[in-house]
Amino acid sequence: MKTEAVTAAPIITEADFKKFTEYFYRKTGIHFDDSKRYFVDKRLVDRIGATGAADFRAYFVGLRFETDGRELQNLINSMTVNETYFFRECYQFDCLVNHLLDEVVAGKRKGDRVRIWSIPSSTGEEPYSIAIYLLERWARIDDFEIEILSSDIDSKVLQAAQDGIYSTRSVAQLPKSYLNKYFTPCANGDWRISRDLVESVEFSRINLTEAGDTRRFRNIDVVFCRNLLIYFDDLSRRVAAEAMYDALNPGGFICLGHSESMSRISSLFRVRRFPDALVHQKPLEDRT
Amino acid sequence: MGLKKPRSGADLRPIAERAYARDEAGLGVQLDDPDPALRRWAARDLASHPGAGRRLCARLLVESDPSVREALFTSAAQVGGHAVVDGILPLLRSEQPALRNGAIELLGGLPDVVAPRIQALLQDADSDVRIFTINLLGNLSHPGVPQWLVQVLAREDEINVIGAALEVLAEVGGPETLEPLRAVRARFGDNPFITFAADVAIERIGSA
Repeated sequence: MKTEAVTAAPIITEADFKKFTEYFYRKTGIHFDDSKRYFVDKRLVDRIGATGAADFRAYFVGLRFETDGRELQNLINSMTVNETYFFRECYQFDCLVNHLLDEVVAGKRKGDRVRIWSIPSSTGEEPYSIAIYLLERWARIDDFEIEILSSDIDSKVLQAAQDGIYSTRSVAQLPKSYLNKYFTPCANGDWRISRDLVESVEFSRINLTEAGDTRRFRNIDVVFCRNLLIYFDDLSRRVAAEAMYDALNPGGFICLGHSESMSRISSLFRVRRFPDALVHQKPLEDRT
Repeated sequence: MGLKKPRSGADLRPIAERAYARDEAGLGVQLDDPDPALRRWAARDLASHPGAGRRLCARLLVESDPSVREALFTSAAQVGGHAVVDGILPLLRSEQPALRNGAIELLGGLPDVVAPRIQALLQDADSDVRIFTINLLGNLSHPGVPQWLVQVLAREDEINVIGAALEVLAEVGGPETLEPLRAVRARFGDNPFITFAADVAIERIGSA
C-alpha cells in the first residue's frame, strides 16, 4: 500500500465503520455489529498507522484496490484471535457426538471404519480434544474403528503435537477428571498428554492447497477445519474446499470456525443446522 | 475397536489403476469421460498445467455437472492468464446464472489481465453484459474501478446499468466522484430509482 505521513490519530466515522464492516463481511464472512465498534475502530486505527495511510479513506482505497491482498490479510489477522486450547469451541464436538456420528454410522456396519480429519493440527489440542470427546462421550465408540488424522503445514507444530506437552492455560477448559485421566503433571507445571492418545492420532505434514499433498486423503467422514480458511486468499480457499470435497465420503461433514462459512467459498456443500452447531455437508447423492 | 491409527498412508485410499495418462493431453481426454468423478479429477489435475486454460474453459461451456463445473472454475482461476480470460468472457453472455456468477468471480481474481478488456465490455451492445461487467468491477481489485464507473455515469443511457454503477460507486467512490454523481442525478432527475441511488452514493461518500 502507499504510505503517507500521519500526524494525528485518524478518526473512524459512523459512515467509515459501516462501509468497512460491509466490505469486511463480504470478503471474510465476519460480521461486526455496533457493539464491536471500539474493537474494530482500534484495530483499524492501528492498521492505518502501520501502513502510513493519511486517514481512513486513504487506507480503505489502498485496501480495496491492492492486488496482492497483503493488507487484507494483515487486517484479518488483527481482527481475529488465533489461539488454540483443549475443548475450544466445544459445541462442535458436542454436535459431533450428539448428531454427526449417528448419521455417519447409519450407513455403516459394526466394525466399519469412521475417519475424522482435523486440519490444521496446530500443536495437537484439536485432534486430542476430538479423541477425548469420543472416548468419553460417544457411547458407540467400541462398535467402530475410529481413525483420527491430523495435518498441518508446519512441521514444528506437528512435532510439538507429538511431544504432547501443554501449559496450564491450554488445558484450562478440560474437566478436572479428564485432565487427571489423560494427562500427567510435569515438574514445571505443564501437562503431558498420555502416549496412548498421541499414538491414536495419525499426524502428517500437508499443504491443503497442494493437490499432490491432499490426493491421498479419501473416505473421510468428518473434517474439522476451523479458523484456517479465514487466513487464505479467495482462490486458496476454493482450492482447499475442492480438496476437502474430494476427501469426504458422500454425506460427510465439514466443521468450520464460528466466523467462517463454506457457502461463501463454494456451492459444493449444503448447510445443515443441528441443535449444537451449523455444519456443512457433502451431498449424499454425489457420485465422486 | 475404538481409536485406531491407520497402518500407513497407503491405507487412506485404495490403489486404482489409471485409465488416462496424467499429462495435459491425457487429462484433456479425461475431461470428456462420461463419469463426472473422473472429469472432476481431470479438472483439478489440470490446474498444475499452465497451458490448460483453453481446455478448461472449453469444457465449462458444455459441462453440466455442478461439482465438475466448480473444479473447472477453480482450476481455470489457478491457471489464469489471457487464454483463461478469453475463454471465460463469453460466459458473461450465458443464460445460466451459475456460469455467469462463476465467470464474474473468476475474472475478479485476475485484475491485471482483465483490466485491458473493461472498456470494450462497458461498451458492449448488450446491456446485460454491461451490467455484469459492473458486477465484475465490484469484485475487481484494481485502481481503475472508480474511473470506469464514472465513465459509465457519463456515457450510459440504460437505467439498470447506471443503477448498478451507482451501487458499486457508493462503496468505492472517493470525493472525485461526487461531481459526476451529481451530474448523473441531474440528468436522470425525473427517475426516482436513479435519484435515490445517486443520493445514497453521494451521502455515503460525502460523509466518509
